[in-house]
Amino acid sequence: MASDLLSVSIDFETSHLYFPTLVHWILGILFAVILLTRVVPFMAAVRRGERTLPIIGESRDNKRFFGTFALIIAYFYLMDVVGNLFPYTGYGFLFVSMAFVLLMSLLYLHKWTRKTLVIVAVNAVVAPALVWFVLAKLFTITLP
Amino acid sequence: MEFLSFLDLSFFLLVGFGTLVGIIFGAIPGMTATMAVAVCLPLTYALGLNHGLALLLGLYVGGISGGMVPAVLLNIPGTPSSITTTFDGYPMAQKGEGEKALRICVIASLVGGLVSAAVLFLFAPLLADFSIKFSYVEKFLIILLALSVIASLSNSMLIGIFSGVIGVWLSLIGDYSISDGGNGHTRLMFDFMEPYLFEGFSLLPVLIGIFGISTILLEAEKGVKRDVAGERVKIGKESAFSFSIFKGSFTNLTRSSFIGTFVGMLPGVGGSAASVLAYTQEKNLAKDSSQMGKGAPQGLISSESANNALTGGALIPLLSLGIPGDSTTAVLIGAFTLQGIQVGPLFIPENHDTWYVMMTALVLANFVMFVLMFFAIKHIAKVVMVPKHILYPLIVMMCVVGAYAINYGIMFDVWTLLIFGVLGYLIQKIGLEVAPLIIGFILGSQAEVYFVKSLESFGTYSIFFTKSPIALVLWALIAASVVFAIAMGFKSRARQKMELSQMHDPSHTASGKHHDSRND
Repeated sequence: MASDLLSVSIDFETSHLYFPTLVHWILGILFAVILLTRVVPFMAAVRRGERTLPIIGESRDNKRFFGTFALIIAYFYLMDVVGNLFPYTGYGFLFVSMAFVLLMSLLYLHKWTRKTLVIVAVNAVVAPALVWFVLAKLFTITLP
Repeated sequence: MEFLSFLDLSFFLLVGFGTLVGIIFGAIPGMTATMAVAVCLPLTYALGLNHGLALLLGLYVGGISGGMVPAVLLNIPGTPSSITTTFDGYPMAQKGEGEKALRICVIASLVGGLVSAAVLFLFAPLLADFSIKFSYVEKFLIILLALSVIASLSNSMLIGIFSGVIGVWLSLIGDYSISDGGNGHTRLMFDFMEPYLFEGFSLLPVLIGIFGISTILLEAEKGVKRDVAGERVKIGKESAFSFSIFKGSFTNLTRSSFIGTFVGMLPGVGGSAASVLAYTQEKNLAKDSSQMGKGAPQGLISSESANNALTGGALIPLLSLGIPGDSTTAVLIGAFTLQGIQVGPLFIPENHDTWYVMMTALVLANFVMFVLMFFAIKHIAKVVMVPKHILYPLIVMMCVVGAYAINYGIMFDVWTLLIFGVLGYLIQKIGLEVAPLIIGFILGSQAEVYFVKSLESFGTYSIFFTKSPIALVLWALIAASVVFAIAMGFKSRARQKMELSQMHDPSHTASGKHHDSRND
């Protein structure tokens, strides 16, 4: 009987694993198919020199890319640290954001002239202060 | 008419403010409506439901419309949905007709937006009424259908499905929630993660990370170049525009608006599909399409009415089924949840006033967009020149605020931004698709509940076929989307092969060119 083949009973204790297991099987099968139909031909093309590997084989502005990474990680981390020094004030967000906006602007700025530097500096002070004032003070939204 | 009492002055101001900010975001190349909504989310935390909706819908409509500005003036689509606007808009701007082109776009956008709002108003309650009777089985099949449609419209169906299933997998991290009838056990993680991930990743930090942070990373990799450096925005003379341009465009406007609305309804399909489809249809069906691509108003009309018609279309499945129609509505789902609204079949019947408020905000946003863009386009056009080194740090900052404040101050949500920012970057780098992954992530945990509960109560897989006639119809639709994808795959493969053989065999080049010119 076909209905017997399709019948199933799910144990409540392990029911949290039923769907994930199914998803794992589907992922595995799809991955295998993609490996065979896409990745293997692609790697062959890479070996012949026709294509390049993504990320590894591409040219990249290393200074700005890894600089962005480092800045974001430092930003997230320090915001929490400074925020704990002044709890419930949002100062952690305010001060660390100012430093972050300044440094990231400088990192992305291609031509350093007096005028652009002044704009960057003013923006780094005004923008976080404005956001902090509107959100933390006017709207009383929790900030680090 | 009780809902009228919700419409106070601040409601109108918020719609206006949202639309203006949305236009600015849309007008800056690289920023999208999705980002506008994501970045402005923290503002809605402090607003009530109706005011929050006013702001969000304004941002949505404005963000989609704003893309026309750089598309016409700089030949850079401000949002993906404005790609086809560049075809005719930029040639017009070069001829000194920039303002005229933009005004045509604005009117087309307004018509598209209003047509889709009307369709939304008439159709969403019907669909909701219909889907209210769905049991878990049909609900699961609807999600399956949504995922298969997204996958079939991806560049490659296989990759689309794979990306969607990864999204589903990510959504399963955490506990199998007791409130959904699960057993409360966690899965797919190590024990030390439990304090952070017991309830899984929060939706909004995930979305903000994927759309905000990964865009910044992709730009940083390219060195954050100023792609508009040295170019001057040419807006042209003021007097050239007259409404007579729209004479004879009724068919085009209507057709493109409905195409946009329909494409918007398909889950996970972005605006570029809508405008490209409307543009090619106008090209195929118009009596005279010889000027299209060289600066013809009809091209602008089809492209812009279609991409603004997305807005209403994408809200239909969101409000009637709880399935987001595109990435912006995916963020909207998060914002609604935040306001305590559960979108789905019960939303409209149970929240009549909210539904009318939404419709008012949507229609109003379209008119505000029209007024702002039609009369102030000259000034708005200047924002395309805002340098990225000023903008990007501010976007990261706003992303942080949005993520941190969403659960009232959880630092892990901020780290989620980074995790999914990096993930979004990697996904796009290795060629997976973001849209199916996001939709998979949003619908994954519901899919689990519907699937497991159906099996628990009926005890057989065959129930997914035998439950009701609707189930069979849904299966037929799923099969149709798969067949469509396979047929499209064969077609594009055949074209690629032909192009390849032409490249290797120079004697065929002449006929190849002929074929190409017919195709594009």
